[in-house]
Amino acid sequence: MTLLLQGLALGVLTGGLYALLASGLSLYFGVMRVVMVAHPAFLFLAAYLTYTVHTTLGVDPFLALPLTVPLFFVLGVAVQRLLIARLAPENLAMMSVLLTFGIALTIEGLLGTFYTGSYKSVSMEYATKSLTIGGVHLPYDKIIAFGVAALTLAVLFAVLIRSRFGQSLRATIQHREAARLVGIHTERVAGYGFGVGLATAAVGGTVLALITPFFPASHWVWIGKLMAIIVVGGLGSVVGAALAAILLGVVEGMVLVTVDATWATMMFYVFLFVALLVRPQGFFGGRLAHRF
Amino acid sequence: MRTVSRGLPLLVAALAIAYPWLVPNYYLVYAGALTVMYAAMSTSWNLLGGFTGYVSLGHSAFFGLGAYGTGLLVVRLDVPWVVALLVSALLVTVFAVGVGIAAVRVRGASFVIVSIALVSMMNLVVQGWRSLTGGSTGLQIPSPFPGLHRGQTHVVFFYLFLALLGLALLTWWYVSRSRFGAGLRAIREDEDKAESLGVPTAAYKVIAFSLSALFVSLAGGLYAVWFGSLDPIFVFSILIGSYMVLMSLLGGVRNLYGPLLGALIVAPAGEYFLIALGETQIHLTATGLVLVLVVLFMPDGILARFTRKRGGPSIPDESADQRLQGVAP
Amino acid sequence: MARVSKSLAIISICALGLTACAKTDEPGAAQSPGQQQGPVKIGISLPLTGDFSEPGKGIQEGYQVWADRVNAKGGLLGRKVELIFRDDASDPNRVSSDYESLITQDKVNLVFGPFSSRLVIPAAKVAESYNMLFVEPAGAAAEVFEQGFKRLFYAAPAIASDHYNYLAEYITKLPADQRPKTAAYASLDDPFAQGTAYGLRDKLAAAGIKTVVDEVYPPETTDFAPIAAKIAAVKPDLVVGGTQFEDSVGLVRALQELKVQPKLAAFSTGPTLAEFPAAVKGAVEHIISPVGWSATATYPGNQDLVKRYKEMFNGEANEDAANGYTVGQIVETAVNAVKCVDPTKECQDKLTEHIRQGTFETVVGPLSFDDQGRPEQAHMIQQYVNGKVEIVLPEQAKTAGIVYPKKEW
Repeated sequence: MTLLLQGLALGVLTGGLYALLASGLSLYFGVMRVVMVAHPAFLFLAAYLTYTVHTTLGVDPFLALPLTVPLFFVLGVAVQRLLIARLAPENLAMMSVLLTFGIALTIEGLLGTFYTGSYKSVSMEYATKSLTIGGVHLPYDKIIAFGVAALTLAVLFAVLIRSRFGQSLRATIQHREAARLVGIHTERVAGYGFGVGLATAAVGGTVLALITPFFPASHWVWIGKLMAIIVVGGLGSVVGAALAAILLGVVEGMVLVTVDATWATMMFYVFLFVALLVRPQGFFGGRLAHRF
Repeated sequence: MRTVSRGLPLLVAALAIAYPWLVPNYYLVYAGALTVMYAAMSTSWNLLGGFTGYVSLGHSAFFGLGAYGTGLLVVRLDVPWVVALLVSALLVTVFAVGVGIAAVRVRGASFVIVSIALVSMMNLVVQGWRSLTGGSTGLQIPSPFPGLHRGQTHVVFFYLFLALLGLALLTWWYVSRSRFGAGLRAIREDEDKAESLGVPTAAYKVIAFSLSALFVSLAGGLYAVWFGSLDPIFVFSILIGSYMVLMSLLGGVRNLYGPLLGALIVAPAGEYFLIALGETQIHLTATGLVLVLVVLFMPDGILARFTRKRGGPSIPDESADQRLQGVAP
Repeated sequence: MARVSKSLAIISICALGLTACAKTDEPGAAQSPGQQQGPVKIGISLPLTGDFSEPGKGIQEGYQVWADRVNAKGGLLGRKVELIFRDDASDPNRVSSDYESLITQDKVNLVFGPFSSRLVIPAAKVAESYNMLFVEPAGAAAEVFEQGFKRLFYAAPAIASDHYNYLAEYITKLPADQRPKTAAYASLDDPFAQGTAYGLRDKLAAAGIKTVVDEVYPPETTDFAPIAAKIAAVKPDLVVGGTQFEDSVGLVRALQELKVQPKLAAFSTGPTLAEFPAAVKGAVEHIISPVGWSATATYPGNQDLVKRYKEMFNGEANEDAANGYTVGQIVETAVNAVKCVDPTKECQDKLTEHIRQGTFETVVGPLSFDDQGRPEQAHMIQQYVNGKVEIVLPEQAKTAGIVYPKKEW
């Protein structure tokens, strides 16, 4: 029983992290209808930058954020304006996958060249302690990851819902042509949308650096998981992706403590296929996703 | 012009058949066989990707299943390798029909995701099912030609892969001239319009998906008996799947010979990058940048560039409505 | 179509007949006199990128240190040694094609092995079919030696399942009141990592120590807390991880977080790497690991390796580098003994025969091999004591006493 509760608690915490990592993917899909295969590669780029800041300046890894978040925002705008926007609209889905796949390889190669292939890790004293409530241990690093994820997502939602930019962004997501008709510069908004998406990768990368060792090829294992999350959540729906992330985090945690790791990973794909068979638009998505 | 376009393929075919004698060592025969294998696989990938525009990054799932199917039949049931190859290809095709029914319900981006998920899933199944597949220990398959030395085996498989490539090209050519092919192209142009005009889009997509899986699984089966050792993380690799896409795209997805040309460029170029820049990981960056440049500046592939100058691509770009004139009764 | 395939068949049959004489680089073909004089070329394929790039790099450095030493004292049989590295990107197709090209195109004199049990088998197949001697630094899994290879030798003290032998012996000899009763095992799904953990598990289970958790996780696992939770639920006396690097760090952290306090914690590979103490901080104390090499050992050449490595790469040598170096030492001794270094079948046969018969002085101690190429010695057991790596078993090699039970982490 304690074991199940433990699995549940860990699942919720991990799910929060997944929500943060997947939110960027949902945004890109929303604004541009593209699958950004390079998102995990950018996560690890951020993790490496965090590592550099942490080791050379000796400061807390989170102090890398004031540097990486703006940098990644600019990178995101650049990727959208200089690369993605140039693709022909007819086969954007296909070409964007290949384009971002190329970007992912480029990043991996650069990381390998500059940091070598060896493992890096950022470990803080608090990262190995845990909070115990009624026999259930809640690791601080996971609590911190969850907290940062929740905070980042809260800011993201606030921006999307409250700000003028958020309204334009959502309008662009919902109907690009109509948004343009009412005078929104959809191209520019899409660029900023990418920027925001990549900025979440900067935060996600720092959190990842804190909880797991990494090397240049680490990003591959995340692609499938994160993709499954955004499909189950409904493509393009940031809220849906967050809910799906928690759901899959919990399922994974429960299966891990009761069965084994192979089945736990398999659950992501099982949910993906079930979602497609039962509700191709995803469990939390609107009609929007259906066409893509 | 006509004689050139007729004669060139024949010349290339003759060169290909003579290739094992023209090269000075067995390494080049081996590299040639691998290149032809990739050419065969990207041509079969193009049966789906080129006609319908559905991008599968996960065709290595069928490659791996074909390889493991053949390998397991040979090792566990002592079936002769040719029989094992055909039976396993058939089974994989049936499986692909099932997957296809689920997968082609979604379009564009979701389909790409499904295809990636399929590879990861198959990798988990094969790696996890240790008692049957040997799991991470791998599966060792005895050589089908114990009497031949290694170099001669390469020559035999070079020709087998060449035959498979011929078969895939012939199928593509046949489909491209058929009503079925016209229906598939209509799906690429505008799936909703095609459906409303009476093209059985779902069935067509599933058939194209399975047909393309069939040839890829045959390539996988041949690979299994040729290479002799299988390991799940290597055969179910996203990279193999993405090579098929890259090759097709580089050569030109709308052209019969596009994927073949792509394979002839990408495979040697990959080797070159690895040897020239081999000591550091910068060769990944080189590959990645080439991919980015191709996507940005040559999205229709090399052949489209050249053939357009000589009067349009082999499949003319027409609107969906024009094309449907030829499909709908 | 039928005609085409028939003519294809005829052509390919002809091809078989002809190729035998068409290729001038038949294995065993006579060398041109010019080649006898040039440098001794040694072909090596290593995973310098991709999943196995970390240990691949270590082995490459080991090879380079060896070549540097040999060249400094005049080369092999008076000829300069030249290493040709290829990156196989952790891909078996590439491994095969690398060795294929090294042997038939570059016409190397010798080949050295690649990294990882998963890549050694395809590589050894190529070397074997061209009659090349194949001494390798990393294929320790039991399966490597069950393929019927005749020219393969593993240049380390013991195969995977024997890595923990000294520890198993120590534990089973403990007095009854101190002996652990339960053990938990978690292993990466990888033939080498599993081999090490299961070797220990089987020996302890036979001695009556109950296996309470036996987990396998796929290589893509990044979150170890749930596995640690399973272990925490049964409070075992021993925790054994069949690990590589990142998972050993992940497991240690997760076990700490879930407050698992075993009396003994052992992990393969990870703790032997220099990055490990920084990654797990204080938890490193008293962690045990099998190790085939020690920086402080006085075996022939060892101190030279440590010194040269520091000069060349400005860091501390590790076990991977030592394994690479060992390969070089064994082949060097054999070449000097049989006085030939050609890729011909005769010479490679002589080298193979010599290695099978002899015992070799190396940086990991004296090594000898059985008929399948398994080394017949044993791994040492290392432990972090006061933050330093100490050899604690066996008795004759130890630099400090084993600490058991370990302090809490």
